[in-house]
Amino acid sequence: MRLNSFKNKSLEELATLLAISPQNRPLKKFIEMGGLPSKKSEAYRYFDIESLLDGEYESLDYTPKVVNEGEEIVIENGVITTAPQGVRVYYEPCEQIDDDHFDPLYYLSHALYPRTIKIEVDGDRELKIVHRFTKSYAIINYRIVLFNQANRHSTIYESFEGKLVQNSFIMYGYDMHIAPDSSFRVVKLQTLQNQNYSMLASHKINVEKNGSCIFKSFDLGGDNALQLIKVELEEYAHIDAQHLLYLNDDSKRGTVSQIIHKGQHSTSNQEAKNILDGASRGIFDALIKVEHSAKYTKAIQNSKAILLHEKAYMVSKPQLEIYIDELEASHGSTTGQLDPQQLFYLQSRGISAIEARKMLVIAFANTMIETIRDSRHQELIRNEFDKVFYSKED
Amino acid sequence: MITLDIQNLEAKIGEKQILKGLNLQLEEGKVHAIMGPNGAGKSTLSKAIVGHYDVSIVGGDILFKGKSIKDMEPEERAKEGIFLSFQNPVEVPGVNNAYFLRTALNAKRVHEGKEELNAAEFLRLMKSHLSELGMKPDMISRSLNEGFSGGEKKRNEILQMLILEPDVIILDEIDSGLDIDALRAVSEGINKMKDGKRSFLVITHYSRILDYIEPDYIHVLKDGKIVKTAGAELVAQLEEEGYDSIANEQ
Ligand SMILES: Nc1ncnc2c1ncn2[C@@H]1O[C@H](COP(=O)(O)OP(=O)(O)OP(=O)(O)O)[C@@H](O)[C@H]1O
Ligand SMILES: [Mg+2]
Repeated sequence: MRLNSFKNKSLEELATLLAISPQNRPLKKFIEMGGLPSKKSEAYRYFDIESLLDGEYESLDYTPKVVNEGEEIVIENGVITTAPQGVRVYYEPCEQIDDDHFDPLYYLSHALYPRTIKIEVDGDRELKIVHRFTKSYAIINYRIVLFNQANRHSTIYESFEGKLVQNSFIMYGYDMHIAPDSSFRVVKLQTLQNQNYSMLASHKINVEKNGSCIFKSFDLGGDNALQLIKVELEEYAHIDAQHLLYLNDDSKRGTVSQIIHKGQHSTSNQEAKNILDGASRGIFDALIKVEHSAKYTKAIQNSKAILLHEKAYMVSKPQLEIYIDELEASHGSTTGQLDPQQLFYLQSRGISAIEARKMLVIAFANTMIETIRDSRHQELIRNEFDKVFYSKED
Repeated sequence: MITLDIQNLEAKIGEKQILKGLNLQLEEGKVHAIMGPNGAGKSTLSKAIVGHYDVSIVGGDILFKGKSIKDMEPEERAKEGIFLSFQNPVEVPGVNNAYFLRTALNAKRVHEGKEELNAAEFLRLMKSHLSELGMKPDMISRSLNEGFSGGEKKRNEILQMLILEPDVIILDEIDSGLDIDALRAVSEGINKMKDGKRSFLVITHYSRILDYIEPDYIHVLKDGKIVKTAGAELVAQLEEEGYDSIANEQ
């Protein structure tokens, strides 16, 4: 399959081509938004989407398989293969697709994967979701719906495993429904590298009244990946979004997001820390929008980047779009090098220049890693960071 | 014996020449004090010795134990045994103070062909020094110098000196901003390091610290040169008459 063959097709033509009804809502939205994105599209201004769409990929068969019992939820090439006992995981059409997502591929992805993977996170619990990929030159596309119940507090640890995913194009994403008075934490760790794959993770997160979402992403290493996150906050809802990016070689990775304050007294706190080595490009293109209905909101947004190489490049675009006066908002962005005074201080005590550099970079990353509550998971991420970092620096 | 031999040193910061043919020899086991007006080049001299990137040496040489060090990396100079307590130690958020100091000590020990210390051995070593310096134990588990008061930063510099046991110790205004108790604790730390071998270069504006650590020589640095060298009695004259009274002897 070549996604570019969808270019300039009418709804009817595309529906016929994909053997989908022209009444299919996501497909209609996709066409309404102008079809395939280009580098002019809002969501992909800084990411090379066009060459991805031009690739020739094998399409996969997503027929459900027998689900084995295991400690974690494993989704292999878009099909559930393992789930823990007592967690409800099943396939069902997604009935709550976003009306107004900024990413056209969110809709295409839904259209191509009509029966989404539904995961009901019951009670207060921790769940691990492992995305496993084993196909090269393939398009791996799937959607997941995650939801919980009111007054519950759960955590999802998300990780990625890949073997032989060379030149594959992965599209996946969550539609997340966070119930009133509940809290939902997602800790994403993506360290797959040197596999020459590309990934788009297109999410929609609804946080209902008095609900709270904590979304922490740790994107470390190489290759190309973009997370596209749209968040809607109802009354008194809160999101805490933190993104740590460490890139090397010529990878392009980052976050494009829209956090929309709809309800009064909703709060958001978004923070990105970016460490860019080699000829990598980091992306933080993040809009916070406060609607008329969202009086007394509080929105904080900040991005800091450290460039370790003259060829590294950071696109940092924090933006605020505000329609009311009754709010507290701030945003900021800095990009720079390691502080020469700090480097010198360490060296003057006998620590080598390379080691001093590492200490300062890890210190910068640590300020974010330390915010993970579970100490074992904190340690895991710290180790992964060291691994990816040292593999390049030594 | 001369440990550090500074020969006709000329140094620039940016385009501006700060050191203008400075000569100074530190003797083994002796305490040398440098006094001089603000902006004379005292800190520049200390930075030149440790290889700070701000300072470029354009003439002369610095010999340590007979070898030129002026082209050595700062970390090599440190491992060879040169230590500078900075006038304004920088804050390094996120780098744990104890971890930093152990890394520094182990780098030096490896350089000397010794075994590295593990965390427990290091902690024991550090604890004894902490109480002598009147430092709160939590200061070693905090980020390096982050949020430390002026006096706490200075004590932390002395802690590093005590642990690293260098051969040449340069103290740039270690006494500024210290309260009476801190001054005594810091001075005692310095005196403890006197072993008849180590050389000290103490940069100061005040006689008070010199009462504690009893210098063997006083040098006056003015306009990028050492213009006078004498014994401890010079301090009283300087306090009395100021730097204008010193005629250029060189
Ligand atoms: N980074 C710098 N850039 C430009 N000029 C500098 C820099 N650092 C020092 N200087 C200048 O070099 C000269 C010497 O400064 P230095 O700090 O060595 O003086 P000092 O003798 O230590 O003074 P003080 O007693 O005030 O500490 C001063 O004129 C100062 O302004
Ligand atoms: Mg000075």
